[in-house]
Amino acid sequence: MKNKKTYIKDINRTIYDIKDKDNSIYKSQKGLTPEIIKEISSKKNEPKWMLDFRLKSLNIYNSKPMPEWAVDLSDLDMDDITTYIKPNTKQSHSWEDVPEEIKDTFERLGLPEAERKSLAGVGAQYDSEVVYHNIRKELVDQGIIYMDMDKALHEHEEIVKEYFMKLITPDDHKFAALHGAVWSGGSFVYVPKGVDVDIPLQSYFRLNAPGAGQFEHTLIIVEKGAKLHFIEGCSAPQYKVNNLHAGCVELFIKEDATLRYSTIENWSRNMYNLNTKRAIVEKNGTIEWVSGSFGSKVSMLYPMSILAGEGARSEFTGITFASKGQHLDTGTKVVHAAPRTTSTVNSKSISKNGGYAFYRGLLKVTKGAYDCKSTVSCESLMLDNDSKSDTLPIIVLNNDNIDIGHEAKIGRISDEAIFYLMSRGIDEQEAKAMIVRGFVEPITKELPLEYAIELNNLINIELEGTIG
Amino acid sequence: MTSWKRIGLKDFEFPKIVKYNKKYLSFEEGAKKEVSLNMVTDITSLPSPKIEDNFTGVGTEFILNVKKNYNAGIDLHIPKDLKIKEPIRLDFYLDEKNNHLVDFNNIYAKENSEITIVIDYKSIDNVEGFHNGFTNIFAEKGSVVNIIKLQRLNSKTLNFDSNFSRVESEAKVNFVSIELGSKLTGFNYTSILEEEKSYSNLSSIYLGDKEMKLDLEYTMIHKGIRSQSNIETRGALLDNARKVFRGNLDFKRGSRSSKGVELENVLLLSPTSKSDSIPALLCEEDNVEGEHAVSAGQIDKSKLFYIMSRGLSEKEAKKLIVESSFKPIIDKIPFEDLRSEINIDIERRLIHG
Repeated sequence: MKNKKTYIKDINRTIYDIKDKDNSIYKSQKGLTPEIIKEISSKKNEPKWMLDFRLKSLNIYNSKPMPEWAVDLSDLDMDDITTYIKPNTKQSHSWEDVPEEIKDTFERLGLPEAERKSLAGVGAQYDSEVVYHNIRKELVDQGIIYMDMDKALHEHEEIVKEYFMKLITPDDHKFAALHGAVWSGGSFVYVPKGVDVDIPLQSYFRLNAPGAGQFEHTLIIVEKGAKLHFIEGCSAPQYKVNNLHAGCVELFIKEDATLRYSTIENWSRNMYNLNTKRAIVEKNGTIEWVSGSFGSKVSMLYPMSILAGEGARSEFTGITFASKGQHLDTGTKVVHAAPRTTSTVNSKSISKNGGYAFYRGLLKVTKGAYDCKSTVSCESLMLDNDSKSDTLPIIVLNNDNIDIGHEAKIGRISDEAIFYLMSRGIDEQEAKAMIVRGFVEPITKELPLEYAIELNNLINIELEGTIG
Repeated sequence: MTSWKRIGLKDFEFPKIVKYNKKYLSFEEGAKKEVSLNMVTDITSLPSPKIEDNFTGVGTEFILNVKKNYNAGIDLHIPKDLKIKEPIRLDFYLDEKNNHLVDFNNIYAKENSEITIVIDYKSIDNVEGFHNGFTNIFAEKGSVVNIIKLQRLNSKTLNFDSNFSRVESEAKVNFVSIELGSKLTGFNYTSILEEEKSYSNLSSIYLGDKEMKLDLEYTMIHKGIRSQSNIETRGALLDNARKVFRGNLDFKRGSRSSKGVELENVLLLSPTSKSDSIPALLCEEDNVEGEHAVSAGQIDKSKLFYIMSRGLSEKEAKKLIVESSFKPIIDKIPFEDLRSEINIDIERRLIHG
């Protein structure tokens, strides 16, 4: 029997791909030298320990080889990447003060709309610097600190010094070292003891200049018994040159605290997304990752949860959608380092049009971590025959008193399912879209409403195409 | 040899291989005339099938070592349409004088033929043995090859075993691997499901205790359409045993309508045992079904409690559960003496170990 297939068009990225004129007032030279680092640091008027830290990281960066174990990074010429760009604007607190051009971009992306829909706070980063930052007054009154990292370094130097790159050290890997050397911008959130932030905080990163790198640093500390939902969005327009994103996200979740960290990443298809995210969870704390990877040319992204305190919990819900020319190597790492910790991983990937989706995961249970429970489930869907989809979970168990389950499935949309839906009067295209929406439903329901709608739109756009 | 990091094989050097002079082949004389069964003398002059060049087994240097230094093994050709019911049995028994075994086995099943081969590796106590093997299987159209490997070398012996099969259209290769012994084991089985409806099956059990280390890798490469593979592994770890399981299902482009299933179930019976599982699914073809599942943990407490409430001790209850998990695979051995020896061995280790 000849299998009929639906051919699906590529995504319409028009709103993401609008480029603004590069109006930056300062751009560091391409490539990386101690002089550039010193210049960035002095432009930002940083304390000496930070400059020393940057220079130390640069040394580590230079001493480490390019990682070769996953994706092909040979096209990424670090000397071509500009590490620091300061847009021609001062940070604004009122949307009206943001320059028209930058505002336009964010309008198109729906950022202020999101704020109008009463998100608790919004920060927006354009190239290397944060251009817009706002937090509701009642949150400030509760003692919540939400500001950009550069500002936090000056205003809350002690806290920053205590936590900054302690969880992800520059020794971790080459791009963590690079980040340590040239980081700029990002968000700093501090939620004091017992405070429940009931509406999400949000930040948006946008990379506009060609051949630039974005190295924002996100540092979130949720104190004992506090609760927070943080949303991060990323995008960039399409240029012919390769761009690089090597951000760092460090999350500290204290006793009984809960943090939900949601990301919708839709970088343009010339982006190398080599991001590092890590959370450390103390006693009875919870980290919930919701992660959607749609864009970029190459991604290496494995958010890691370290369950360090007894009864700590982690939950990872992720979706990866790889299309033409994309190699998305994503997954998650969970380390059970204390007794009675639990983790759930639910990962879905879709590949189409020659895209390559790779799930790479690590689940580790250390020696003293008894009574741990973990369930890992990975599902992959291939929408055509030009694509590739691999799954590589690593499970390391150093203790017997545990309960571990892992399963993975790979496959295509079954002809029977489509036939059934079509027999009910639904056309083939809609039937396919319905099945894909059903496939990603466990993820969409985890997202705030406007993101869930965006995700559904994204899928609809992806699946609009001719049937052949 | 990066893959050896996980079980800690460091700075390994090959011993200078001594001769293996013992008889190891038993097969009915009458049947021998129908097939071509020879002791291996020269690998390079084997007429067919060609040995897969890209096959690296447990490591390129191990394959090379076999090709250079083999001291035992068979070259077996089963003619077209001949179905041999009586199994061929190889017994390798390492002792003081014959403590190195480097066996090369070549099994060539021609169209629609059928054969069962049982290979038993064991050694007398206290001998520091070394085993490095390479078994090459070629199953032509419609043939069936059953191969059962039983490894119960002593706890001073290093054991390396590379196995390769090429499976043609509608042929079946059923590989059974029973890993009970050795100080350290590196095992690899790679099967290429070359054509339409090729079928490849791997069932294995392992029992690790004391300081035993096991690195087991099973790979199924689907090339043909409607090909089917199955990996099922059950194991139990006691004491300080360390195990690495690597299962790979690789669907190459063009392997339409193929199916692959990979299952591992490990019982952890000691807080100091270590278990790594790396089940990989690689897929270049949309129209396939691939599935893997791994489960690990202690014996279900309610199960244990139930059996103990019937008057069995905890050890006996655990033994019963492990045995029942292993039984379907042990029952595939067509020789009563081997089956009962294995059962006694498992019982001894679980109760008195």
